[in-house]
Amino acid sequence: MRHPSDGTLRRLLDEPAGVADADRAHVANCPVCLSGLAAARQDATLSSAALGGRPGVGVEADVDVDAGWQRLSRTVAESGRPRVPAVARKRRWRAALRSPVVAAVAVLALVGGAGAAAAGNWLQIFHTERIAPVTIAQADLVALPDLSAYGEVEMTEPPNVREVADAAEAQRITGLSLPRLDRLPRGVTGEPTFQVGDRASAVFTFSVARAAQTAAAHGEPLPEPPAGLDGSQFRLTAGPGVAAVWAGQHGMPNLIVARMAAPTAYSSGIELSTAVDYLLSLPGLPENVAAQLRHFTGDGTTLPLPVNARYLTASPADVNGTPATVLTSRDGVLAGVVWVDGATVTAVAGPLRADEVLSVARGLRWDR
Amino acid sequence: MAPGRVTAAAAAWSARGHHRPTGRTVRKGDGVVGSAAAGRDGIRADLEQVFRACYPRIVGVAARVLGSRAEAEDVAQEVFLAFGRSSVPAGQAVGWLSVAAAHTALNQVRSRRRRTAREQVAGAPETVGPDIAEAVVTRDERRRVRAALDRLPRRQAVALLLRHSGLSYAEVAAALDLSPGSVGTTVRRAESALREELNRHASSE
Repeated sequence: MRHPSDGTLRRLLDEPAGVADADRAHVANCPVCLSGLAAARQDATLSSAALGGRPGVGVEADVDVDAGWQRLSRTVAESGRPRVPAVARKRRWRAALRSPVVAAVAVLALVGGAGAAAAGNWLQIFHTERIAPVTIAQADLVALPDLSAYGEVEMTEPPNVREVADAAEAQRITGLSLPRLDRLPRGVTGEPTFQVGDRASAVFTFSVARAAQTAAAHGEPLPEPPAGLDGSQFRLTAGPGVAAVWAGQHGMPNLIVARMAAPTAYSSGIELSTAVDYLLSLPGLPENVAAQLRHFTGDGTTLPLPVNARYLTASPADVNGTPATVLTSRDGVLAGVVWVDGATVTAVAGPLRADEVLSVARGLRWDR
Repeated sequence: MAPGRVTAAAAAWSARGHHRPTGRTVRKGDGVVGSAAAGRDGIRADLEQVFRACYPRIVGVAARVLGSRAEAEDVAQEVFLAFGRSSVPAGQAVGWLSVAAAHTALNQVRSRRRRTAREQVAGAPETVGPDIAEAVVTRDERRRVRAALDRLPRRQAVALLLRHSGLSYAEVAAALDLSPGSVGTTVRRAESALREELNRHASSE
């Protein structure tokens, strides 16, 4: 009879009951197979040793399940709702105001556009025309103060992210045209679902008293604030937005194409050019971050995109002539590309390679 | 900890279509999808039960790659968090968690190797005192195993890890969407390749 396969010989070592009687009988009397079996046993023993011995002993035996469960429970409690990238663009906006980096960047974006604003009226001081990555190290991330450390943040218009029936509905609600893809990347199949979010806006009221507390917590006095800064209000709006989401297994998206009205900032009136330097001088903002951010505040049109250097790398690219930023996770699992065209931010992201997301981005067709 | 990475990794395998985290295709409308009702904050209700039953085993899978229990526990925590937010049928939990732990740990090895390579290019050659020579040998062996695992075809590496973490042939087959007959073949090839990688590397040093 034919010799059983190497795979059958291998299984004979672990689960002899799973091997057919005829095969077992053959192996017992076949010098060729016995030799193959010995070789398999040798490799299996070596692999077992290299991988840390028998299962169930060693590492597994020492694991403290109770402590592990407590740790996971804390993480679950802290992290709140699931972070599904499909709606992250909008939901992140809410979380953004709690995130120190985005908060700090928001302050800078808000006050970054130079120019005087008439008291009592909202005056546009910043509108996104370009996005530039600002690399922030993990240590800086921890060091950055929360926006609430400088004043009051109030969400005045929630993004209200929701799924809608189809592309036409999404376009009717958001006024944003939706992409067509002539060709999907390998592994992405089916029809997308559509998510929309309303325009979101938040108002930040600067408080000198609060900033002084923060400075005191850093053991430093608050630098003398410019006149009129205390109580000044800044409003940041973003959206509406729409995302087409191609689902993978278990609800994780395989591809997201999202568009949103670019963030814009308004002031209720203060001499902003002085506020920029003041905010940058506040205790708690790492000097290297401040230096990087200062670079982007000049013309009031470039939105600094904070990139956590530990997880992401950013590189410049172009999408059909428009400058774009490509972000890739360091483990090579995720990639995204983001660019601004007119007053709209567009992003393509997914568990893909950088060249794949760029290829999707360049192949988008807009029904204008 | 970045919980998003595991889900992203899981999505990546299904996206590429060659490393599905579970054995069966789960479609909307299948009765099993809703079997673990999501509780508060979208975390599935059976998370604690599954955690208590499987945690040591999942730590074991990651530890076989990383060689460090602390790092393996970090990986296991990430993986269980992703599982808690998933609708993976409870019957496929062990397989899904094991595959996710193997991939996440292997991804860590890969990104760490890239980082180390960069640091070695940038930094001065390392000098080691004789007193810690033995510890270095063990560390070096572990590093060689990690590097060898990383060079194996991913499917082989995962099958190998699952088998050596105590999953039965039937469980490995379901988790990797293989036929039970081909599990032995895949594991055999992986073990042979691992030996060759380790030997090749040992003789070149």
